[in-house]
Amino acid sequence: MARKKINLKISSVDTREMRLGTITSWDGSASELVDASRYEARGRGRVTGGGEADREGCHGGGKVCRLRELKMPFNQQTMCSHAIVACQLGNLTDCILVEHAPIGCSASNARFNQGFKIGLARRGKPIQSIQIFSTNLKENDMVFGASDRLRQTVRDANERFGPKAIFISMSCSTAIIGEDLDSLAQELETELKIPVVPVYCEGFRSKHWSTGFDASQHGIVRQIVNKNPKKQNDLINIVALWGTDYFTPMLAPLGLRVNYMVDMASFSELRQASEAAATATFCHTLGSYMATALEEYYGVPQIDAPQPFGIAGTDDWLRAVAKAVGKEDIIDDYIESEHRRISPRLEELRKILKGVKGFVSTGSSYAHAMISVIRDLGIEVEGSIVFHHDPVYDAGHENQDTLGHLVRNSGDLAHFTVSQTQQFQFHGLLKRVNPDFIIIRHNGLAPLAAKLGIPSFPMGDEHFPLGYDGIIRTGEALIGILAKKKFNAVLKRHVEIPYTDWWLSQEDQFILAKHPEILDEPDETKTPLGADRSANPIQMDPDDNLSAPEEKLRYA
Amino acid sequence: MAKKIRQIAIYGKGGIGKSTTTQNLTAGLAESGKRVMVVGCDPKADSTRLLLGGLAQRTVLDTLREEGEDISLELIMKEGYKHIRCVESGGPEPGVGCAGRGIITSIGLLERLGAYTADLDYVFYDVLGDVVCGGFAMPIREGKAKEIYIVASGEMMALYAANNIAKGIERYAKQGGVRLGGIICNSRNVDRENDLLRAFSEELGTHLVHFIPRDNIVQRAEIRRKTVIDYKPDSNQADEYRALAKRIAENKKFVIPKPMKQERLEEILTEFGLMVEMGDEYAI
Repeated sequence: MARKKINLKISSVDTREMRLGTITSWDGSASELVDASRYEARGRGRVTGGGEADREGCHGGGKVCRLRELKMPFNQQTMCSHAIVACQLGNLTDCILVEHAPIGCSASNARFNQGFKIGLARRGKPIQSIQIFSTNLKENDMVFGASDRLRQTVRDANERFGPKAIFISMSCSTAIIGEDLDSLAQELETELKIPVVPVYCEGFRSKHWSTGFDASQHGIVRQIVNKNPKKQNDLINIVALWGTDYFTPMLAPLGLRVNYMVDMASFSELRQASEAAATATFCHTLGSYMATALEEYYGVPQIDAPQPFGIAGTDDWLRAVAKAVGKEDIIDDYIESEHRRISPRLEELRKILKGVKGFVSTGSSYAHAMISVIRDLGIEVEGSIVFHHDPVYDAGHENQDTLGHLVRNSGDLAHFTVSQTQQFQFHGLLKRVNPDFIIIRHNGLAPLAAKLGIPSFPMGDEHFPLGYDGIIRTGEALIGILAKKKFNAVLKRHVEIPYTDWWLSQEDQFILAKHPEILDEPDETKTPLGADRSANPIQMDPDDNLSAPEEKLRYA
Repeated sequence: MAKKIRQIAIYGKGGIGKSTTTQNLTAGLAESGKRVMVVGCDPKADSTRLLLGGLAQRTVLDTLREEGEDISLELIMKEGYKHIRCVESGGPEPGVGCAGRGIITSIGLLERLGAYTADLDYVFYDVLGDVVCGGFAMPIREGKAKEIYIVASGEMMALYAANNIAKGIERYAKQGGVRLGGIICNSRNVDRENDLLRAFSEELGTHLVHFIPRDNIVQRAEIRRKTVIDYKPDSNQADEYRALAKRIAENKKFVIPKPMKQERLEEILTEFGLMVEMGDEYAI
């Protein structure tokens, strides 16, 4: 029986690992991960629930086809869902986010403020600061309960700024003491007569921060979007971050207006999401939940295609958009003329960039897109690190399988790694491929690459490589980036990497997942090169998911 | 339109007989053809033993810990006496972790797994001792139990606890729809217990739903891992529990309690207690 993939009945979002079977540690080739992910079976299971009646009994996070993951004994660093909610719901122009938390949970907000302002400037909106309040909880609030403080904060925020809606985010501490956000939000909504939305994003609920995107979108679809939508047939939702508006020129020939969500959106822009003709995104990691919720509850179709990056991706994406909005008659001509337009410059760039080796380390499905963009420029890509992997996206639409699309269209990658921005692994993983440059978007990665003599291409504007023009833009910018190689080479000679010789000579960056007992050994006895242990590596066999014997226990 | 499931939380001092009362009362409801689910919210996980005939029930939290988050409802929900669905939330070992968060986690999981099916007439939450932190109030949050019954006896500490619980209910009732349905007396054979409980209930602004007399048949049934209704359906005590079930089924009196100040509570206790003492002296 068909069931809803998104459960809007309850106020807290289901985590990614439950819905999609998300993993955060893996190492192998891209094609191995495609096989192990079994996107198609999982996609079907998203509809059937993956029960026994289903041929393969497989759904998103279902145990039957659980993707085995390398179980690392520790994380060096990571973000959490709560911070993601701050950089989503705290980046609205006329709504307010109240963080029901001790002040430390707001530590990233200075950086988010900068990102918000840059985003506003890119989109031509008036510059303003993020509108985030913290209840600033102390010892006594933990002991005696913090609801009154929350009421006061929400009322003060409302009085001072007159927002169109107020979101309240749950933190670890308030989740543990059992603050009743649902009741408080309802009470304040009645009192203030604006939507007051509880958002359950306590960091410990999910092992990956991207659940924070889902939690934000869950609140928006439940309580903000227009429940009685008046269809706007020329409006397309684009679930995005802070990128420049390259979508409008790309979609204008199809007669479409763009409605960007969530960052920098206004209340009314979020509200009209249910009225759009379709929903699309530049990154399925980000947009999958919102697109599926709008599709299931408001009949807004989502674009069943990979992402609009690289030639094949953009072709497929544009065709799917045209199909969704009834413009199939003009799309082939449009695509063909675009190919012709960029072809001369693309050829020149390919000549210039011939023989260059690239590496991509970004969020999951965005990385798949970046690899296809630089491969279209003739750049070799043998390795990539993504911060998590979703074996399926929420809708389970087959054509959205971005990793599968990448491998089928431009070939395999020998070294495809899933690792949550773990610095200590980054060094060895880069050295294994030894690229001429890396594409990054997250903090802390460029400095390490620089110390290895590798220049970084910080894709701060995630829309920069978008569409056909994006390939050209990326190629041209890359020439400038590669010119920094010498600077990085000099830098490399003058810095030291802060790891032991044993670790620096270690070939397997996941040896600690396979042999965590190493952590208990004194440094001087650690086997150089992990020789003995690596001689008998644990093989990952995608067909052997559940029958894994105990000795394979490191793959949970 | 689908009928509303009546969700009921049973609170009371530790050891007062909440679990015994809840299981016997739900056995009574099930016997009359009602569909019932009992959710034990006590880390000791002993709220469904009599309904399941002592079957070791794996708790939700143990299952989560051992199996991971992807678990099916069948793993944590067992059918007991007359198809009563039994769930034990469970909790951490004493002295570690956070039992209150455990209740939030398990009730959240039950919701996600779709345990609250439309065919249910009643869901009962049997909640640990006193409301000790936010997590233990989870069963009475918005959208969960709207009715609360407090199990008490004529013993002083049981009434202290009941009054404290009433304070918690008052707080929640002012914000939402939760109401006190009444006091259930699980008798300890205290002198003038019935009168005391009636006076106490009235002072709280509620009523004494039922007075369950003390009868060792309850203990004999417990040894056999049964409710009294299951063990000796023809006994007087079985009828007492049936009467309690009927009163709860027909109850229409739901109030925001008026908890007493400490002094007033002691006054009532003294009033009844002293009179007993005087009676004793008089007898001498």
